[in-house]
Amino acid sequence: MPLIKAGELRDDPWRFLADDEALPADGPVAVSLARWRREENALVARGLPLGIRLKAGEHPLSIAEALGHFALIALEFPKFTDGRAYSYARLLRERFGYKGELRAVGQVLRDQLLFMQRCGFDAFEIAHTDAAELWRKAIAEISVFNQPTGERGVTRPRAAPAPPGPSSDRDGRRLRS
Amino acid sequence: MYRYDEWDQRLVDERVAQFRDQVARRLSGELSEEEFKPLRLLNGLYLQLHSYMLRVAIPYGVLSSRQLEALAHIARHYDRGYGHFTTRQNIQFHWVRLEETPDILAELAKVGMHAIQTSGNSLRNTTADQYAGVAADEIADPRVYAELIRQWSTLHPEFSFLPRKFKIAVSGAARDRAAVKTHDIGLYVRRDQAGELGFEVLVGGGQGRTPMLAKTVRKFLPEADLLSYLEAILRVYNELGRRDNLFKARIKILVHELGLEKFTELVEAEWAAISTGALRLPRDEIARIRAQFAPPPYEAIAIPVASLEAARRKDPAFARWLRHNTAAHARPGYAIVNVSLKAVGEVPGDIGADAMEALAGLAERLSFGELRVTHEQNLVLPHVKASELYALWQALVPLGLASANVGLASDIIACPGLDYCSLANARSIPVAQRIAERVAALGREEEIGELRIKISGCINACGHHHVGHIGLLGVDKQGEEFYQMTLGGHAEEDASLGAIIGPAFSSADVVDAVERVIATYLGLRHPGERFIEAYRRLGPEPFKERLYAAH
Amino acid sequence: MSLEIVTANRLRDGRAVYLGESGWSENLQAAQVAGSAAAAKALLAAAEANAAANAVVAPYLIEVADEGDRLVPQRLRERIREQGPTVAAGARPPVREVA
Repeated sequence: MPLIKAGELRDDPWRFLADDEALPADGPVAVSLARWRREENALVARGLPLGIRLKAGEHPLSIAEALGHFALIALEFPKFTDGRAYSYARLLRERFGYKGELRAVGQVLRDQLLFMQRCGFDAFEIAHTDAAELWRKAIAEISVFNQPTGERGVTRPRAAPAPPGPSSDRDGRRLRS
Repeated sequence: MYRYDEWDQRLVDERVAQFRDQVARRLSGELSEEEFKPLRLLNGLYLQLHSYMLRVAIPYGVLSSRQLEALAHIARHYDRGYGHFTTRQNIQFHWVRLEETPDILAELAKVGMHAIQTSGNSLRNTTADQYAGVAADEIADPRVYAELIRQWSTLHPEFSFLPRKFKIAVSGAARDRAAVKTHDIGLYVRRDQAGELGFEVLVGGGQGRTPMLAKTVRKFLPEADLLSYLEAILRVYNELGRRDNLFKARIKILVHELGLEKFTELVEAEWAAISTGALRLPRDEIARIRAQFAPPPYEAIAIPVASLEAARRKDPAFARWLRHNTAAHARPGYAIVNVSLKAVGEVPGDIGADAMEALAGLAERLSFGELRVTHEQNLVLPHVKASELYALWQALVPLGLASANVGLASDIIACPGLDYCSLANARSIPVAQRIAERVAALGREEEIGELRIKISGCINACGHHHVGHIGLLGVDKQGEEFYQMTLGGHAEEDASLGAIIGPAFSSADVVDAVERVIATYLGLRHPGERFIEAYRRLGPEPFKERLYAAH
Repeated sequence: MSLEIVTANRLRDGRAVYLGESGWSENLQAAQVAGSAAAAKALLAAAEANAAANAVVAPYLIEVADEGDRLVPQRLRERIREQGPTVAAGARPPVREVA
């Protein structure tokens, strides 16, 4: 499956293991949440790069404490209309501070790539013969963003958010003292 | 009125180019229908019985003269010469071609309009009170918040593939003219005890298969926290809303299944994590947006306005129109004018291109170039000088836009129904027309008083029948059109859902049934008691008896 | 024995079209009629091949009755699709009864 990472077509060093597949001696492997839960110690003890693949419905809270173990988190889009992974991605990046590779897998279509990137995905499995070209076009389509998400933030220049706390309201009414 | 800045403009221009490319890829076969359908829905393009239908967004129902002229042009050049205003303050064109839709969107972009997210499982047009900024009972202008929500919700990368559609409404007055409680999120502008502005936040309203009224999740939310709180609600919904069953996917079902307390807990916990973040609204930002809605240059006018009083006395038809189609303006010497799109015999909510253009001209001259769209499929001229009301009325009459029926029995809301819509089970427009004709024939419309009749052609309830004083739901019974009647629905702050009154009526019988309901009301009401008040006092029994006893 | 024809919406302009001997047209009366379940199945398969070829969207079978001089769809919805909206407004055609 063609992999776009950091905007370019890349070879994929990762191997996604089925739940009953033996752990290989070498190489980075990614496992399901179920397998992680069962074999956490063995997987960590392996001492090699480890990845995890979450299905839609498997909330990243379930691995929030263990993020340091994962060089790769893959979030599934079972159908492109299932938008749960957009929230999961933002939480992983913005709430839990995950810095590793965050990969979109499953039904990943061109017209969702920009939304995904803005939510914090930096790698994409795209089932298309010219994935790089697809990516290039998709990313360039819209350049105005109204929401402070991920790295790109709001395009329109804005005053810095005010610190929380009481003040008089716009009409100059005094607060109750 | 809000004016697009360079970023708003760039966004819609880029969106047009994006959609043009998507259409090209569809027409070439590169995109299958399955892949293309959600994309075209995100640009408001439906495939209906006869044609594609384009739903154009009119953010919080505010329209400039120039925009209305552009809509007239589109109606004429790309459609069959008319448009239809909807129960969410949008406009629909029923005869567009896919291959021309990018051009239509390009024309719309030139006047700062678009069809973004007017369909699909996305954040839809945020609606507001059609008297925003001019109502005498206003607490604060809801358009300010609706505009902030519009920007935040447009092409939101996290919330473009929700379990189901999502609708938000804001009301800024004591009286709810925006049907807030029927929305996924409803906001009532409030002031706290210190006089600070904020909102009562309600969640989980919705019509359709399982109608529900929204419940209060937060009694007071300071205005600075508006967007972060909405984000928290949407995130909880995006994560937990059902994706296995289309009919159980709205947030109202999630609130119902979790229970209000648990749902609120989840929202508050999520909000606690983001409340001090980048979505917090600085005073400056709210002020910047508020400044866009500064009042127009009103004149100081002494009241009463003698010419108006003279015309009122002289012309009983004008007086009648004043009584029903104008509302009190916050400024002395001005009036809010309701333009009825419910002339007897016409299609509710429809208006032809010529009339649109004429109305745009009237708005330019007499209403500071501004109009509003109501969720009851009528239009509003929000700032008309009292001294110009008579001339305005005289201009509206030949256009067929002066029916003195706003809020009365012939001011019917009807969805397009089986005449147009591929989702429908029965027609709604002919039923609306026949009811309006019967009401006119009875000659007692003023005497009947406020009566909101709402008709939907299918369970999706685009006609808002659940909150009609009399609601009619079209159903298909073995190939025949039948109409299930509900009574006692109401869309204001004391909202209620109508109750089914009994077995459905055939198309032949439904107009008589409505007449019998009206007659029952007239026979039993107390002096000055509106229909909804009488129904709430009497309950369904007297109406049931009158409707079904003889059968 | 019920008669069936295939209908769809044309991709580029959304118009209701019907599959006839010489392809898709807006004229229901020219539609190819299938008189048996097997024939209907074959007709629909041919239509779906067309959909894949991008001329039309979502073809489906509808029942019609042969009333001698015309084919009449059995469902009200399809009669409206053939004849257009039944309602009048402004400059549009006047109200008709759907036959």
